[in-house]
Formats: sequence, structure tokens, C-alpha cells
Amino acid sequence: MTKKEGMIVTDNGIGYYHSIGFLCGLEIHQRLATKNKLYCQCAASPLQTDAMISNVYRHQRAVAGESGNIDMSAKFEEAKDKTFKYNVYRNTSCLVDIDEEPPRDVNGEALDAALAIASSLDMKFMDELEPMRKEVVDGSNPTAFQRTTIIGIDGSIKIGSYSIDIPAVSLEEESAGIVSNSENATVYDTNRIGIPLIEIDTSPYIESPARAKEIALRIGTLLRVSGKVQRGIGTIRQDVNVSIKEGARVEIKGLQEVDMLDTFVENEVLRQVNLIKIRDILLGRKASVGHIVDLSDLLKNTSVKVINNSAKNGAVIFGFRLIGFDGILGTEINPNRRLGSELGDYAKMAGVKGIIHSDENLEQYGFTINEIEGIKNRLSVGRGDAFILLAGEEPISKKAAELVIERAEYAMKGVPKETRSALDAELGTTRFMRPLPGGFRMYPETDAKPLLLTKTIIDNARLSAPDIEKEVSALKKDFGDDALAKQMLLSPRLVAYKKITNGIKVDRKFVANMLLQKFTEMKRQNIDVDSVDVSLLESVFKKFTEEELTKQGVEEAIRRLAIGGGTIDGIIKANGLERISGKQLALLISRIKGDEKLERSQLIKKIMGKYRFNIDGAELNELLGR
Amino acid sequence: MYSDEILDFLKSAKINIGDEIRATAKDFGIDGEIMPNTEATHPEIIVIKLKNGYNVGVNFRKIKITKVKSGKGMPEFPKAEFKQDKKLPKISLIYTGGTIGSKIDYKTGGVYMLVKPEELLYEVPELAGIACISSKELFSISSEDMSYREWQAIANAVEKEAMAGADGIVITIGTDTMHYAAAALSFMLKDLHIPVVLTGSQRSSDRGSSDAFMNLICSTYLAAKSNIGEVGICMHSSSSDDKCHFIRGTKARKMHSSRRDAFRPINDRPIALVDIKGNIEYRNSYSKKSKDIGRAITGFQNSVALVKAYPNSTPDIIDFYLQKGYEGLIIEGTGLGHTPTSTKDKNYSWLPKIKNAVSKGMIIGMTSQCIYGRVNENVYRNLRLLRNAGVIYCEDMLPETAYIKLGWLLGNYKKEDIPKLLNTDIAGEIKERSEYDEFLV
Repeated sequence: MTKKEGMIVTDNGIGYYHSIGFLCGLEIHQRLATKNKLYCQCAASPLQTDAMISNVYRHQRAVAGESGNIDMSAKFEEAKDKTFKYNVYRNTSCLVDIDEEPPRDVNGEALDAALAIASSLDMKFMDELEPMRKEVVDGSNPTAFQRTTIIGIDGSIKIGSYSIDIPAVSLEEESAGIVSNSENATVYDTNRIGIPLIEIDTSPYIESPARAKEIALRIGTLLRVSGKVQRGIGTIRQDVNVSIKEGARVEIKGLQEVDMLDTFVENEVLRQVNLIKIRDILLGRKASVGHIVDLSDLLKNTSVKVINNSAKNGAVIFGFRLIGFDGILGTEINPNRRLGSELGDYAKMAGVKGIIHSDENLEQYGFTINEIEGIKNRLSVGRGDAFILLAGEEPISKKAAELVIERAEYAMKGVPKETRSALDAELGTTRFMRPLPGGFRMYPETDAKPLLLTKTIIDNARLSAPDIEKEVSALKKDFGDDALAKQMLLSPRLVAYKKITNGIKVDRKFVANMLLQKFTEMKRQNIDVDSVDVSLLESVFKKFTEEELTKQGVEEAIRRLAIGGGTIDGIIKANGLERISGKQLALLISRIKGDEKLERSQLIKKIMGKYRFNIDGAELNELLGR
Repeated sequence: MYSDEILDFLKSAKINIGDEIRATAKDFGIDGEIMPNTEATHPEIIVIKLKNGYNVGVNFRKIKITKVKSGKGMPEFPKAEFKQDKKLPKISLIYTGGTIGSKIDYKTGGVYMLVKPEELLYEVPELAGIACISSKELFSISSEDMSYREWQAIANAVEKEAMAGADGIVITIGTDTMHYAAAALSFMLKDLHIPVVLTGSQRSSDRGSSDAFMNLICSTYLAAKSNIGEVGICMHSSSSDDKCHFIRGTKARKMHSSRRDAFRPINDRPIALVDIKGNIEYRNSYSKKSKDIGRAITGFQNSVALVKAYPNSTPDIIDFYLQKGYEGLIIEGTGLGHTPTSTKDKNYSWLPKIKNAVSKGMIIGMTSQCIYGRVNENVYRNLRLLRNAGVIYCEDMLPETAYIKLGWLLGNYKKEDIPKLLNTDIAGEIKERSEYDEFLV
């Protein structure tokens, strides 16, 4: 299915979204560019070269919440009974990161950066910041909670003709990066945990998917303009909350590319619209869900591969009837997604490979007519009914069957509250991740000191608040080129641009062209040029200003650094990139010229053919002209 | 508690802690609930919980506050329905305080104790499958505030439970001074012959990553299933939630301020390792459990001190204790058991003061601040001088254990017998042999 076919509601404007009771809010999480982590002295950027020194194994459990209740999503994670393995690193993780030492004082650099950004969002500052713990038991925090602090409330941001409220901005810890995930264990890297993040929440009154994207872009630009944020993949993530009338709040977590954000939101609307339609059909048919039946004996000699493979490992095969569901499981609710896929997600969360349902082509699976009849008989599947099969070891398969039944029953109620994650970045579709967390997950972080916000701190924040309009005029002045200024403003490389041009006196247009055009070209050649550290880029441009590299040399040096890493001096030496100029260049010209009588253009071709990285074309021209 | 000014401010607005309020300032208004003060905040700050769960602090002078609704007060702790299986071993669980038995109230950050079995089993339901548990709260005292009076009370409580037929005892206690308590109970309960397991936690049990759950489960298994008849400490053996180790009470020491595997056996191997499924792996010799339940011997003479000798240290501290009427002193000496002895400046030699104190009846024991290893009274001349002055060399005993032992001996034995008893093994505190694999384990 193409993207277009999935976007049935794309053309609908704000009026349409208003009519369906559309609610949408964003939570934008951006890593701050600080030297150290938020609550310890570890380096705050994952060092690619850092050595893993050990790992620890942990279990986590849900603990009773504020009103004594254990949060449902927390319990769901605990039910998975997982072992979490944490990789520990030399320079980028310490005892604080693996829950073996209380937090140190909050990082002042991070706090200043967050307050400055909050200041441009017109946030109202509190007098004292109170650090909190937000419970998380998927293992992504070795503590089982995330430290988070509200730094401002009741702000807003203007986007052209409209504005959106920003109820809260908070400063929090990044979670641990997931390395691998299997049925029984999840592996996390602790080098990333604790990096400071700023979280910016909008109100839920974004009026259309297109506006959601616009707002995300605007906030993203503001963050980059601040110059206080990390760049590169994964350093910014947006969570989107979407609901419609008669639907339910669904949170789509961790979208990294803003480009597709509107499509994700449109698809979520479409999904909810379709689930509501399905609900009405099922209610009309007086649909219901049957009991779990063990079909292991019936299918013990089946030639259906997916079942056979599991059965060999002692798996149990369960089936159940879905009364009145015929044709419903195969109904498409999103591009390439059916109600059956939604049910399958729940089964997978319990640890089985997936489900087989009767709206699929069962003969293609390898079921014989007899087997299908046998299953229908055993489950009492009649006209208008459907059935589902799943296989796996006990008790996982039983748990999976129970979860699928629970979800199937919810089809009669409509849209379940869920946290979902991106499934297909091209199509903009999502899958179930876990139930939506309730509100009982916050309690005071008594290990971290409350922080009094003095007038000096707030005044400083206001002074260094980023300002998009000011930035635009500064860039226009830098380039004398409005198009380039606009391109730079929207580029994730703006942060690098600002750092480089603030650090050294260099031709700004040259830097901009390098970061925008040349970087994009290199990216197309699959060179991960954005992974080169900004300070390293700075050192390359410094060599240019010191006339030790030509423009071509700069590009080549960056290319080499992106491919193999190293230092600028090392790269120049190893690849012979030193600029040749002045007397040395004159000598070279006369040596190459020798006794040959070459035309000027031939001579230039001959010299540049060999020394294109080393010689500045303009200088050569000038020398030859003499 | 909030400052008097804030309390007056709240009182005049007829607002109690926990009430729902609306606070308005010049440029913002917030709806929330008044939180109690945690002692960490500035005296002019009122803490308000917002609807989204976050707390914020506002200066009371800047806001107007109105009550929206009265608060509900502290919620009751949820209770689990559980069945105690009478056929399982009878375990008594004694709470004495510390991080492990406490629970933070999610709303307020206030701490309350988990003492009733149904509260405990709500948190750690696995326990009901291991043992038939009766629990009691003896007191709730922070580790650093513990004294010999509490150890005596614990010993008496344990004796009572043992006499009433408990198969094993689990004691939850603060970790900072847990090894002092373990040593004291090792001596006081040396004739009891049932497993007495001390446990605690380094991370509070209100967080999902707490070590409390596994420590409690492993301790209960040891108390219920092992055939050990000793007092010891059961805590994480590594930073992973893998196994706990059971360390003899006289040979245990807290060796890290915050890690969950802080407790290590010193000059000894752990008696056993135990995992969360209850598999027990014995690693050392130990006294076996028996039906012969002896009485607790709980006397303790508190006129004993623990002092550290170090370069430039003045021996005047000995005179101080002598004048105060102290009867015993354990010195944490350097290396094999030295104090400054043949110093150039005679005023810094401890020898004359020690001689004087011993002649006045003070019992002085020597241990090593190396923590690991055994003291020796013969290798160097200065050691021999101290020995001749009457210092008792305490073999491979831990300084803290020696300190506890001396207080216990003074509380229960005739003074003339004590010098000999001090370096004679009573409760596993002295080992005859120094084995190779007892260092840094």
C-alpha cells in the first residue's frame, strides 16, 4: 500500500478535526549539550570510544503508588518478569547511573540552559524547584524511576497567526539506551542515562495534524537557536497524544523525525475512527468472545510450519471463538494494519510470535480442510464467527491468549487507552507498546535537594533566552542570502554552525554551505557526517582560517573524520592534506612546469589533478597570472 | 514542619496540609494540594502538588491562597489477601527500623513503617510461600541512633520467639551499624542455635529497584530452610540481583557507603550463598541448628571505647577515657597492631599512657585498621613493648567486633577472666587459621 492510499483524511482541515472532537498535544524531549550529566559528573555525551568495564543484572517490581494502587502500566511491565542487564562504561557511567549511589547536586549548566529556553516560551518561574521521581519499570532506568523537575508553568509559543499554550517545561534525566531485547532479558547501556533533557509539553488543543507538525518544527527550531542542545539522531524525540470523540487518549512515543509527524497523527485519527466503526458493527451483531480451548492434541501432527515449530518445543496450542467477528479481524484500520494486527501486538507482548486468525488465508499457512473443520468444530465456530489460534510455551501462551481475549472484548467498547510506538516510519503507522500509564507515578525525590531560584538565576536565564526572530536577522546578515538563512534556521546543524562561528572568525557562508550542501551530499553517500563532534569540526575550520587547509581540504578532512575518526592533525598528515601556498606553491609550479610548454589551462589541470586538496584555486590563478 | 510564619499564614487562610487549594500570584495561578514540608525546603517556601503530580515550591509572601476542598489525609496502605500456610516453617520477623521496613508515602514523601504481615505480603507476596510468618515491630530507630539497649531488647525478643517455637528469626535493621548489632547479637545469642538473620536495604523499598525485596526473600529462605544455628547478615553479594550471602555476625563489615553489596565477610568466607529461588550453597563451616535453645546473655558494659591510632595522634585520649572511668579500650592500630611508640617527641608515644592505664585496671585490646589480616605482638620491637605493657592482641578480630565483645564481656564476666577471654574465640570472631581466599571477597 502506498502512503497516499493510507492518508484518507489528509485533506481535511481544522473544521473536520474540530467536528470529530480531535485533541492533540505534544511532549518534546531534547537532550541538552552540557559537559556533565544531570546528577553526576560523568561525561554527558555518549563517547563512542568509551570502554565497557562491567555489567550488572537487576530485576524491578511495581511498587504501590500514591493512593496505594500499583500503576497498571507498571504492573504490565513487571508481569514480563524480566532480567535487565546494564552495561557499565569507564567515563560515561558511574555508581549514580546504576542505582548504587545517591544523586549529586543538580548540574547548574543544564539548569541554566533549560531556564533560558523556558524563558523564551514565556514560562512563569516557581520560587523553588522540587525534584520528583516518575516511576518507570520497563528497565530503562536502573533506579526504576526518572528524576524530573518542573522548572516553569503556564507559557506559550506563537506560530505565525496562532499560538499554543505550554503548560509545563521540565528538566529531567535521559533514560538508558536499549541494546537488545528478548523474551527474558533486556540489555541497556548506561552511558546515556542521566544526560539532561528538557521536556516541553503543549496543551492538548492543537487543532490539526498539520499544526502538530508546525508546532513541533517551531519548538525544534527554538531549541536549536538556543545553541544549548545536542544534535544528531536520537537527541530529540516527540511524543504525541491523540484522541477523538468516543475514542481514547493514545500516546505515540519516541518519534524522531518531525517530517512524518502529521502522517502519524492522521493515521492515529483514522485508526480511532475505524475502531469506533468496528465497535458499532460488533454491537449490532451482538458479538462476544469465547473461552480458551487447548487444541494441542488436534494439531499435534499438523504440517503448518509456525505451529509445528512451536509444538516441537513442547508448546501448547490455544484457540478461541469470536462470535460475530467474521470479516472484522481482516478489516484494515490503518495502512497495512488490521484489527487482527492489533490483537497480534498483545500476544507478542506476552512473548509468543503472533496469532493466526480466520480472516487470513488459512490454506496458505498449510492448514488442511480437515484441520480447519476440526478447529471450527472444537471451538463451536458458526456462521458469522471468527477464531484465533496461537502457540507457545506455557504459561506464556496462556497469558498471551488472555491478553488477546481482553483486547478482543475491548473491540466492543472502542479504542483502548494505549502507549504506542512507531512501527513503519514510511507509512506512519504504530503498534501497541503498553497500556497508558495512569496518574499515580510521581513522588518526591528525597535524595536530591530542592533548589531555590534566585533573581540572579532568573535574570541570567532571561538574558540568554533564545529568540528566533533575532536569529533570523543574524543569519541573514551572516549570509546576505535569505534562502540560505532560512535553510540554516530549519537545519539540525544550526547548533554546530553557531558553535563553530562563535568560536572562530571564519567565512560564515563557507561554513553554512559546508554544513548544508556538502554534509547532505556526504550523507547521500552514506557517510555519517553528523557523528563528527562539533569541537572537531571547529578544529577543521580553524585550520582553514590558519591557512593550513584549503576549502577542498576542509571537505576532505571532514569526510575522513566521519569515516575513520581521529584528530585533525592526524587526518591532515595521514592523507597529505596540508595546504601548499606562497613560495612553496611557486616552487611547485615551476617544478611541474619544468621544460614543458603547457598552456595555462593544461598546467592548471595538471597541478590541480594532483593537488586539488592542497592548493587554493584562486591563489594558483593569481600566481600563474603574474 | 513548616516555619511558624508559614503555619500562621496557612492557619489564617484556614488551610490544612493535604487540602486542595488555588494559589494566585502576580503572573500565574495554580491549582493543587498543600504538601507537608520535608525539612529540605527554604523557610519561606510552601510546596504544592500540581494536578499532573509534580511538586513546585512557591514563596508564601508572593501568593494568595484559597481553599477549594479539604484533604483526605493519609491513605491506608493496601492489604493483600493471603493465607499463612501453617505447615511451613515458623519464622518471626522483627522490625527495628532502617530503610528496609520503611515506606515513603507517594503523595507526601513522608515515611511510614511496613509492619503488619498483610502490608509486607502485599509488597513481597513470595514470602507467604516460604514460611509461616509472624511479624512484630520492636521499635523504629535509625541505624546511627542504635545503642546497646536496643541490641539487648532485640536479643530478648529473639529469645522469646525462639522459646515460643520459631524455627528461625529475620531481623530488619538499619544498615549503617548493622555489623555492630550482628556482633552484639552473636555474643548475646551464642547459645540459641537457630538461624538469626539480620537484613536491611541500601535502596528504600518504595522504588522498584530496591534491594529490599530480594534481601527479605533470601533472608526468609535462610531462616526457614538452612540448618545454620548462628547469627549473621544476609544482603546482596554483588551489585547484581543475583545472590545474597550470609556472613557470620562477628565477621561482617559494611565496606561501602551506598552499594547494595556493601556488606563483606572480613578474614572469613561467607557461610552460605542463597538465591531468590531458595537454593542455598554452603561455603564455610558453621554451627548447626539444634533444638537446644539456650538463654540470651544480654549484659553489656558501656564504659568501653574504640580509638584509632594514626600518625601525629596524641595519646591524651587514653587519659581522657581513664578519667571518665572507662574500663576497656580497643585500639585500631596501624599494620600489625602499632601505636606511635618510640617517637622522637616523647609526648607522642602512647606507651607510657597505655602502661599507666593498664596498671589502673583498664583492659586494652589491639586490632588493626588494615581491617583485613591478623595483628601480631612479636614481629617488631615496638609491638613487643606494647604487649609487655599489657595490651591484648586480638588476633584476626574486626575492631568493631572487638569493641562489642569487650563491652559484652565486661557486662557478663568477672574482670580477671576478661583478658584471656578477649582473645579466645567465643562466637566465630577469631579464626585459628588465616586462609588464602578470605581477602577482598
